[in-house]
Amino acid sequence: MNELLWYTSRATGTASIVLLTGVVILGATISGRGARSRDGATIVTALHRWLSLGMTVFLLLHVATAVVETYVSIDLVSAVFPFTSGYEPLWVGLGTLAFDLFVAVMVTSMLRQRISDRGWRFVHWAAYLMWPLAILHGFILGTADEPLLRLTTVACAVAGGAAIVWRSGVTHHDTDRRRHVAAQEWS
Amino acid sequence: MTLASLLRDAGLTGRGGAAFPTAVKLEAALGHRARLIVNCCDGEIGAAKDGWVVEHHLDELVSGARLLSPRRPATIRYAAHRGSPTAVRLHGAGLDVLEVPARYVSSEESSLISIAQGGLARPMTKRAPPFVAGGRDSAGRRIRPTVVLNAETVWRVLQLVEWGADWFRSYGTAAEPGPRLVSVNSPTARGVVLETEAGARMSELLSAVGGLPADAEAVLIGGLGGSFVPADAVPSLAWSTADLARLGAGIGPGVIELIEPRECPIALVDRFLAYAAGESAGQCGPCMFGVPALAAEWHRFAECPSAPLLHDISRRSGLLPGRGACRFPDGVARFVASATWVYRDHLEGHLAGYCLDPGRRPADVLTR
Amino acid sequence: MSSRAERDSRPALRPAGAGMTELRVDRIACTGHGVCASVLPHHFELDEWGYPIVTDPAVPAADGTTAIRLCPARALYRT
Repeated sequence: MNELLWYTSRATGTASIVLLTGVVILGATISGRGARSRDGATIVTALHRWLSLGMTVFLLLHVATAVVETYVSIDLVSAVFPFTSGYEPLWVGLGTLAFDLFVAVMVTSMLRQRISDRGWRFVHWAAYLMWPLAILHGFILGTADEPLLRLTTVACAVAGGAAIVWRSGVTHHDTDRRRHVAAQEWS
Repeated sequence: MTLASLLRDAGLTGRGGAAFPTAVKLEAALGHRARLIVNCCDGEIGAAKDGWVVEHHLDELVSGARLLSPRRPATIRYAAHRGSPTAVRLHGAGLDVLEVPARYVSSEESSLISIAQGGLARPMTKRAPPFVAGGRDSAGRRIRPTVVLNAETVWRVLQLVEWGADWFRSYGTAAEPGPRLVSVNSPTARGVVLETEAGARMSELLSAVGGLPADAEAVLIGGLGGSFVPADAVPSLAWSTADLARLGAGIGPGVIELIEPRECPIALVDRFLAYAAGESAGQCGPCMFGVPALAAEWHRFAECPSAPLLHDISRRSGLLPGRGACRFPDGVARFVASATWVYRDHLEGHLAGYCLDPGRRPADVLTR
Repeated sequence: MSSRAERDSRPALRPAGAGMTELRVDRIACTGHGVCASVLPHHFELDEWGYPIVTDPAVPAADGTTAIRLCPARALYRT
C-alpha cells in the first residue's frame, strides 16, 4: 500500500508538472498576444483556466499521497509550510512553496472580479516563480532513477523556458503605445 | 434653507462645460464627506475665465469653496496648470494648489482626482457611482470621495449666498439661469473675458473683439472639443444651448474663437489635430491610435487631397465617440465633423486642385 | 470588493429584456484581445487595432458572464 502511495505521488507529481507547464505556456501566450485572432485568444484563455482547474486534482493527490505514505517523512504541516519536512526539507520545501503560490494564484483568480486588478496581477506574476520551483522540485526529487520521468521534466523545463523567453521578448502595439505615452509628462 | 436648496432654487449648473446641477453635486459631496477640488485650469484652447475669476474675485472664490466644503476646509485644493499665472496667484494667496502639467486632458475632472491622490493627471474610467462617492480606478486603486467644481461655479455659489436666487434668475433664461462668463478670442485679441448670460446675442459678444469681419467664415465655439459654426449664422445666433444645438454646437466651457479668415482652414484644422494627436492620455486604444490616425489622414489630405481620403476621415472620426474613458476623442470627432461641414467649400476646392485661401492666387494648383 | 456605499448607490440593473444584461467596456483596462467579439459576435466588433466597437450592449446574461470571465484584461463589466 505504501509503495502504491509512493508511486502515485510520483505519477501525479509528474502529471502536475506537465499540466502546470501547459498552463504557464497558455498563460504566457495570452499575455504575449500569441493567439493572433479573437477566437484563438478565447480558446487559449478558456484552456488556460480549464487546465489550471483540472491539474488541481492531480496536484492535491500528489500532496495527499506524499503526506499519507510513510516511506518518507512529510507531514501535513510541511505540505503548507516550506522547508519543514523531515525528508529532504529543501527540495520538498521548494515544492511546498510552489504549492502555496499555486493556491494564491488560484484563489485570487477565482475572486478576480471582486479584488483589485493590481492585487490580482501581483499574485499572478508569482506564477513565473512558482513554475521553476516546481520544475526544480520535481527534477531533483522525483526522477533520479527513472529516465523517462527525468526526460519528461526536462522537456517541460525546455518548453516552459522557451515560452517565457518568447514572452519576455515579444512586443505589441498596445503595450508599446501605452509605454510611449506614459513616459511623457503627466504629473 | 440649506445651501443645496438655494442652489437648486437658483438652478445653478456647472460652468466647466458639463452643466451638471451643482445642488446635486453638493448633496452627494456632503453625503460622502468628499474633498473639494476647485478647477481653475482653463484647460480648453482659448479658455481664460477660470484664471479671470482667480485674478479678480479670489476672496469670493475662497469663501465660496469654504461654504461648499464646511466640514473639511483644510482639504480644499485649487487646481491650476504648473507655472501658469493662475498657479502663481493661488500660491501667492497661500492656498493649497494642486499643480497639474500643461496637458490638454490633465484638467479633466477625473484627471484632477487622480493626480490629487498621487496618481498621474490622466482621466479615469467612470463606473457608477461617480467619484464623489469614492471608488476605484481601472487598476483597482482606491479613490477617496472627491468632488471637482469649476472655479466660476464656486464663485457663483458665493454670489448666490450674498444676493439670492432671485438675483441669479434675473439673468439668463428659465432653462439656463444666471450670469455666465465667456472667453472671446480673435486673431488680434486673446482671452477677453466677458460677463454675459444665456440668450445674449453672439454678435454682441464678438463686438468685444472688434465684431465679425466682413470676410469671416467661421467661429469656433468650445475650442478643440467644440464645433465650428458658419459666420453667416452668427448675426441671428443667441448664446444658448437651444440656439447653438441647431448648429451642432454647445455652450461648453464658454470659449469663443473668431477664426482668422485669411488662413487656409484645412491648414488650421491640421494644426489643431497635430496638437490633439500628441495629447491623448495613451490609456484607451481607440483614442491613442484613432486620434493620431485621424490627424495623420487629415495631414495627408492637406498635402494630397482625394475624395476617398475625405471619406475615410469621416469614417475615422465616427469611430471616436464613446470609445474612450473620457470625452477627449468625442470632442475631436465633433471638431472634425463640424470643420468638414462648415468648410466644405474649401475641401471641395482642394479636391478640385485649388485653395480658397485669399492669400493664395486662384491659379495655384495643389500638388498631387 | 465593493463597499456598502458603492453597492447602495449602484443603479438598479435594468436588463433590456428577460435574461439580458448590459455590458460596458472599461476602455483603460481593455488591451484589445478581442475575446468579447469572439464570445458575443453580434454585440461586439473590432476596429483595425483590435479594440471593441459595441454594436449592442444588451447581451444574454449567460454569454455576458462568460465574456466577463474570459476577458484577459478584466475590461468588461455590467452596468
